[in-house]
Amino acid sequence: MTDHDAPPSQEALAPIVKTLVLRCRRELAFSLFTTSMADWWPLASHSVSGSSAATIRFAGRVDGNITEVAPDGTESVWGTVTHWDPPAAFATTWHPGTDPATATHLRVEFTAVDETTTELVLTHSGWETRGDAMRAGYHVGWDAVLAGMPHQLGATRPPIS
Amino acid sequence: MTETIDAVLDALGDATRRRIYEAITAQERSVGDLAALFPISRPAVSRHLRLLTEAGLVVHRAAGTRHVYSATPTGVAALRHYTDDLWTLALNRLATLAEAAGVIDQAAAETVAAGRPRGADR
Repeated sequence: MTDHDAPPSQEALAPIVKTLVLRCRRELAFSLFTTSMADWWPLASHSVSGSSAATIRFAGRVDGNITEVAPDGTESVWGTVTHWDPPAAFATTWHPGTDPATATHLRVEFTAVDETTTELVLTHSGWETRGDAMRAGYHVGWDAVLAGMPHQLGATRPPIS
Repeated sequence: MTETIDAVLDALGDATRRRIYEAITAQERSVGDLAALFPISRPAVSRHLRLLTEAGLVVHRAAGTRHVYSATPTGVAALRHYTDDLWTLALNRLATLAEAAGVIDQAAAETVAAGRPRGADR
């Protein structure tokens, strides 16, 4: 399937796309995702502070920051808003705990299915840019075993319903 | 094969190690570069780099007088896949929260529409 010396396939670095149905109206869905991010994001395992007591401040405007505030007050910027259009969509750079210069990009769109149901589509992109930056200076062969790994990792995770 | 997958999951499962790995995917780094970026000691950085190397996510080479670590092409795909799983987890939590919030929101809307508070004498 994958050539030993080939770079990752386009598919392997394609944007992550997640589609989800939320059982609440669109304005509430948008608000829960943004303003209430600390209420659902897995902070204990995925944050700079490593604390479930951290909060997330979401400045809802273009150039506003998404900031983790640790219990001791330490702040870490996770991203900067690039597009703000409540309750339809927003987009942001995304670099929790890492260098803003190499941020990936997150776009989330909310569509009303009916008055109490919202469809959310999340697109997390920028992987191919990272891949290109690495390939430019890197010439070691591709490991066929690891190349097959993403599919095997996928098999161990329950799919989003 | 199973050992390889476990090694990658272990490697990316530690928050600091994951952040070190992400810094390396941005550009190749030396141990000194990484110790300056993160609030941990050089031996701790070296330990993380050893685990990342064993998992096949990074390789090292001599660049003049420096010894630098760079991400393998496989590594970006692995990081992307790890992030994919993270979004699945996080969005499922959002869905649960939205369900509860939706019920409360719905009840409040019905109360307003009915024009009288719940439990009022009829």
